[in-house]
This record gives sequence, C-alpha cells and structure tokens, in this order.
Amino acid sequence: MASPVILHGRGIVEGKCVAEALVSTKPISFLGDVDPATGKIIERRHSLYGKCVKDKVLCFPHGHGSTVGSYVLYSLAKNGLAPKAIINRRADPVIVVGAVIANIPMIDQVDVNQIRTGDLVEVDAHKGTVKVLKSTAEELAKCT
Amino acid sequence: MYLTREEERIYNGEHGWAKQVCMKILVKLGELFGASRLIPVESAHVSGVSYKTLGDAPTDFLEALANTGGKAAVEATLNPQSLDPQHLAERLPENLVKNQLKLCEIFKKMGFETSYTCTPYYIKTPAKGAHLAWAESSAVVYANSVLGAWTNREGGPSALAAAIIGKTPDCGIHRAENRKPKILVEVKAPLEKETDYGALGIYLGKVLEDKIPFITGLGKPTPESLKQLGAALASAGMVNMFHHDGAAAKTIEKPLEKITVEPKNLQETVEELTTTSTKKPDLVFVGCPHCSLSEIREIAEKIGDKKVMEGVEFWVCTSRHIKEKAKNYVQRIEASGAKIITDTCAVVTWTDRLGVKTIITNSAKTAHYAPTLNKAEVKLASLEECLKTALKE
Repeated sequence: MASPVILHGRGIVEGKCVAEALVSTKPISFLGDVDPATGKIIERRHSLYGKCVKDKVLCFPHGHGSTVGSYVLYSLAKNGLAPKAIINRRADPVIVVGAVIANIPMIDQVDVNQIRTGDLVEVDAHKGTVKVLKSTAEELAKCT
Repeated sequence: MYLTREEERIYNGEHGWAKQVCMKILVKLGELFGASRLIPVESAHVSGVSYKTLGDAPTDFLEALANTGGKAAVEATLNPQSLDPQHLAERLPENLVKNQLKLCEIFKKMGFETSYTCTPYYIKTPAKGAHLAWAESSAVVYANSVLGAWTNREGGPSALAAAIIGKTPDCGIHRAENRKPKILVEVKAPLEKETDYGALGIYLGKVLEDKIPFITGLGKPTPESLKQLGAALASAGMVNMFHHDGAAAKTIEKPLEKITVEPKNLQETVEELTTTSTKKPDLVFVGCPHCSLSEIREIAEKIGDKKVMEGVEFWVCTSRHIKEKAKNYVQRIEASGAKIITDTCAVVTWTDRLGVKTIITNSAKTAHYAPTLNKAEVKLASLEECLKTALKE
C-alpha cells in the first residue's frame, strides 16, 4: 500500500479523532440543510441529501446562511448527533462559532477534494493535519 | 492574538463554562479576521431573539449559558422577538407563544434589557467614536454612518459573546484604515420620499459588493431617511457603513472608482420590489426599522380624526420605549383603529398565520424580505400613500 496521504491545514478548534469521511462538494447551511433532531441532511437539492452527519469527519468547502446555523451544531452535539470533526477549505464565522460551542475539532485551508466519502481519516487539529488512513479509491482498485 | 492574563484565565475556564465558551468565540473569530487583541465595547445589541427565525436549536445553547453564569457584562439590548404581548399573543398558536416566551425568559435571566427593538439607538444613543458589538444590520449601518460609532456587523452568537465578555476583537471596521471610502457614488436621481432613500439602499446593496461608499447627492436627508437607506443597503448587500458628509471626503487618498445612480435605477428597483398592485392590502405596515418619536408624531398628525378602513389592518411598529414616550400620539393613532405594535414587526412575526397575504409598506427592507419571510405579496409606497390606503376619506 502507498504511504498515507497527509493533508495540511490550519487547526481552528483543538481535538483529535479517527473516523469515516463524509464529503460534500457544496457548502452547508446548518440552518435549513441539517435536521438537529436526526443529524440528517434534509435539503433535497443538497448533494448529501438523506446522509447523516453523526460521527463522521464532515468535509465541505465552507458554510453559508444564517448565524443560527452555529446553534444547530450545538444542538446536534447535545443530541449525540454531531460530526466527529469538521474539515473546510475556508473557515467562515457560522461554522467556527458552531465548532467552538459544540466542541468539535475543526481544521480549515484543506483541499477537501483530496478526501472521498468513506475514506478512513485521522484528524489532528492541534497539528492541523488530516491523514487518509484507508482510501475508498484504493479499496475499489483492489477489488478490480 | 494577545490576551491579558485575566482573558487567558477566562479562556481556560477558570470563570465557568459560559464565559469560557464566549471568550473562545471571540478569540477564534478574532484570529480568523486578523485581530491583534480584544477591545472593550460600550454596548452590545443581540439579534436572534425571534422564535420565528430561530426555531428550537438555540434554546439549548442559551439555556446552558444562563445555567452556567452567563450574564451581560455591558449594556446589552435585544432585537425584536416574534410577538407583541398586547395585540398578537392571543391571535397566535399557543405553542409558538410559549416557545417565544421561554427564549425571552432565558435572555432576561442573563441580564439583557427587554428592549425588543431594532433601533436600540433611540433608547440610548452611543457616543461618537464608541466601539460597539451590534448585530441587526440596519442598526449597524445607522451606528457607523449616522451616529459615528464603530461596530462590525455581528452575528447573533458573536454579539451574545461580546455582551457576556464586554469586549470584541479589534478587526474589521473597528480599525480606522478599514473605514475609508472605497467607491464614490453620485446620486443623480431626485430623493424626495423615504421610499426613494430605501430604493437607493436596495440598489446600492446589490451593486457595491463590500465596498464602503462615499455618497453625494443625498440632499438634506432627515436621520429617518438615512435609517431607511441604511436598512435597505444592509438587507440587500454586504456593506456595513456609508459616508455622506464633508469630513469623510478628507479621508479619500487616491482617485476612487465612481458610479452614478440615475432616476431609472431607482424606478426599476421600486418595480422589482413591488409584487402586487392591490389597492386594498390585508396589512398596511410602517415602522421598519422601528419608528422614532418624530415619526410617531408625524403619523398621529397626518391621521387626524380619520378612521382605518374595515378589512384592513394598520400597524405602526416601534419599541416599548418610544411607545411610552409618545403616549399622547399613541392614543390618537389607536383611536383611528390602527395598532401600535411593540417588541416585534411584520417581518419577524407570523403574519401568514394572521391571514395576511398582501402587505403595503414604506420600508424597502420589508419589501425586500416579505415575499420570502412572510410569504406575502408586497407593495412599496410612501407613508402618504400608506395612510391613504389605510384610512377612510
């Protein structure tokens, strides 16, 4: 196996975890796109429609929409439905505040296109690194 | 970012979770926007009070703050909530009223002033040059552009954190170099009515992106006209302030990009904002942003002895504070059948649940939001025309 890909970014909220990635090419507005009672993406036009953010390393370009979105992240965490970590290309105030109050490790300035949904990734927000431990692309290659 | 020893202790949780999480919000946002330190604020104004726009998500967080010692450290006012206890509570579903009152109780417990207004500057006018942490975009533009105070456009959570810590990061337009005009706007359209200023705000909001304008050709606007301009400017765009007087002209260092506003730009804006041509709307609404004392006086004088037509609701929205100060005018206005609505406005209450499908208003900001936030057809018209529509001959 090739040595794991390591992506370098900027740590915003401290913390570490290893979990499966859920990657969105579109921005996420936590107010409206995500149901705080189930953790599912409920916006029909969103590329992750129907997916659950619980325990995932949630990767997306950036947030958008109302600042109430920060509170949705807090409610998700209180209901045990929060992502394990958040990886952004560009941090914006709604997501930063949400990650702070919900205590979710967060890194920005990462090229999220290098990560695929289903990849097992190790996040270290102290160092600002995302290590792809097991890539779905490699798994697929093995099968063929 | 540089933190004092005391700020560090708060950051590390030595003063409890509420202060810690608020300090973290300020520091993380400060780092994101290149702040070097925290600066004290004279006051904070918090948005995100209306249950209609908030829903259930924030209640958990606000409750946790209140339960761990979250208290306003500076004068802290609240934006409108979603109902007027006197006129609207009985007409709205019980669970909505209950959830709204719960939010209000949490804020009260944390020592916030129960102002419920988007015009906190009518309660206490901030000093010129004072640093503030205000949310509510119309108040932010008014404070920066008309009152000469300094505030970024805060979001609900960052204004809340600033209220509890009493400080804000020294970034954005808390720095003099970031307050300079970046574009010249020459208004060639005549500005007569308050709706002309509102339409100008919507138009500029769409074309300026985030460039602070120096505007000429405004004539001799009243503060209320500038309030309409600023409210519209902020609702349609990203700009948090404008310059319009000679003092700012001196800060212009190099030739700036220049645009002109022609009469047709404003006519087209009014047409775009108007989605109905009805002569008999369900609701006639003035008071976005909330009315000043002089606006209430003007409305009372113009109404005289006339009565509101049957089948039309006429709302004049203002703060509790102004209503109390304007007692005599309030009596005269309410004698006509109009309602003085406090604590809320048409945009942040559930007008659709009150059966309102068409709104006529003199506020370009309301006209901008009503089709989406009220699911209503809307017409932008001057106060004169609003009164003509609402009152019997």
